Amino acid sequence: MFVYEKKLQYPVKIAAVNPKLASVIISQYGGPDGELGASLRYLSQRYSMPYPELRGLLTDIGTEELGHLEMIGAIVHQLTRRLSEDQIKADGFAPYFVDHTAGVYPTAASGFPWTAASMQVKGDPIADLTEDLAAEQKARVTYDNILRLSDDPDVNDVIKFLREREIVHFQRFGEALQNLRERLNQKNVYYMNPAFDRS
Amino acid sequence: MDQHDKTCCGLLPASAPLANPYVPFQPENPAQYSAKTGLIRGTLFPCLDLPLLGMVNTEEKPDTLLHQLQALGFAVQELGLYLDTHQNDAEATELFRQYTELYETGMAQYQQSCGPLFQKQAVENGAYTWNSKPWPWEYRANQED
Repeated sequence: MFVYEKKLQYPVKIAAVNPKLASVIISQYGGPDGELGASLRYLSQRYSMPYPELRGLLTDIGTEELGHLEMIGAIVHQLTRRLSEDQIKADGFAPYFVDHTAGVYPTAASGFPWTAASMQVKGDPIADLTEDLAAEQKARVTYDNILRLSDDPDVNDVIKFLREREIVHFQRFGEALQNLRERLNQKNVYYMNPAFDRS
Repeated sequence: MDQHDKTCCGLLPASAPLANPYVPFQPENPAQYSAKTGLIRGTLFPCLDLPLLGMVNTEEKPDTLLHQLQALGFAVQELGLYLDTHQNDAEATELFRQYTELYETGMAQYQQSCGPLFQKQAVENGAYTWNSKPWPWEYRANQED
C-alpha cells in the first residue's frame, strides 16, 4: 500500500509568480515524458516483471516518481499563486487559464491532456526495461529544455535536481537489464519471454 | 575534482550477447557526497553527477530540521536504488543502515517541532493535528523553518 509522508523529497520555494513559465513546466506533470507517466509506467510494469530485484527497482523508482509529480505540482502551484488580471493574460498562460484557472491539471504544454498512449507496459522484461531507459532520457531532455527556457533561479534549483534523478534512474535501469540478461539463455536472450513462457 | 577520470568508469561484461543495450555497471563501494551535498546535486555519487552546460546547485540548503530530514531521506532513497542493483555491496548496505537510523532520529525531532509526517501520528494532547500545519506544496510551508 501507499502511505503519504507529509514532506517533499526536495524543497520547492518559488519566490516570484510566473504563469508563463508554469504553462511550460506543466508538461512534466502531464506531458508525454512527464512524472505521471513515469510513475504509472514503472508501477504498472512491475506486475509482469520476473525476479524480485527487478520488481523492487520498479517499485522504488515508481514511488520516487510520485514524489517528483508532487514537486512539479508544487512548482506550478507556486508559480500561479495570487495572479493579477494582467498576469492571467500573460503570453502563453490564457489557454491554460480558461480551462483550469490556477488549478494543476495533468496536461502537456501543448494542451494535449495526459494520455496512457505516451507510455507502455509490454509484459516482456527486455522490452519494458529498454522503454524505461528511453523514458529517462526523454524526461532528462525535457528538463534540459526547461533549463534553457527558464531564468528563475528558484525554479532552476529544483529542475536541476529532477534532471539529475533521470540520469541516476537511467543508470539503475541499465544495471537491471544486465542483471536480467545474466539469468537468460546466454546463447539467445530472446529465446523466450521470461515473464510469460515457463522455462 | 576531476569527475571523469578512470575511477568514474563502469564495468561492462567481458562477453556480451549482440543486439542488446548495455549500460556499464557502477563499480562497488563508489565515492559519495555528504547527504547535504547529495541533496542539492540530485545524486549521492560524484561519478553520476553529469550536469547540463555547467548548471549546478552549489549552495547547500539552510540547516533546518526539514532540510536535514530531506537530505537524510534522499541518502536513504539513493542508496536503496543502488542496493536494488548491487545487493552484495556490504559497505553500501552498512551505510544504508546508518542513514536509515539517522533518518529515524531526524524524523522524531522534526515531528516534535514541525508537526506530523504521517496521519497515524497526528494526535497530540487529545487534538487532531494532521491539518494544522501547511501542506508541503504550499509556499508558506517553507516559512515554518
